[in-house]
Amino acid sequence: MKLRAMTLLCCILALSSIGFADEKRYDVPLGDSPSFGPHDAPVTLIEFIDFQ
Amino acid sequence: MAAGPVVKKVLAAYSGKLRLVIKNYPYRYRDFSRIAAEASLAARDQGKYWEMHDILITRSPKLDRQNLIAYAQELGLDVKKFTAAIDAQKHKSEIDADIKLAESLDLYNTPTIFINGRKTVGERPFTYYKKIIDEELR
Repeated sequence: MKLRAMTLLCCILALSSIGFADEKRYDVPLGDSPSFGPHDAPVTLIEFIDFQ
Repeated sequence: MAAGPVVKKVLAAYSGKLRLVIKNYPYRYRDFSRIAAEASLAARDQGKYWEMHDILITRSPKLDRQNLIAYAQELGLDVKKFTAAIDAQKHKSEIDADIKLAESLDLYNTPTIFINGRKTVGERPFTYYKKIIDEELR
């Protein structure tokens, strides 16, 4: 019974970690980098750019 | 290379709903990446960041010092001030901080765009960004 519970728990953890990896959100500080658009916009794009 | 035209299209499609923030990630082994980043921030000092940003993207890879000075002239910037800024690497610490941030995030490609923190690597088609943004707006 314990083993079964453990197995189930492992399965749940494995599946959820796959889910999280796909949807991982990074916390990228904005600083005072050049910015365009409203500061309270619902979506913020942070672009790392190389002009060349 | 920057995602220029696609990002522009995205901004136009979601006008008022998006904020775009730019971080510089000039690769060390490229000749003019660094000075182009300096040029963008020197233009920002004179209130013309996005104008210069657009020029740098559309004229790349013509980004040597002489080209950059010509672009500054084209935008009506104070060329003397602009030239002094890029020659002195006035924004070195700001650019270095961006590079350090990029390295801490283990980035290996540009453009890398974080959409509400969700990472997208490389130049992707409009529909790819649209899907993520629509999810974020839901």
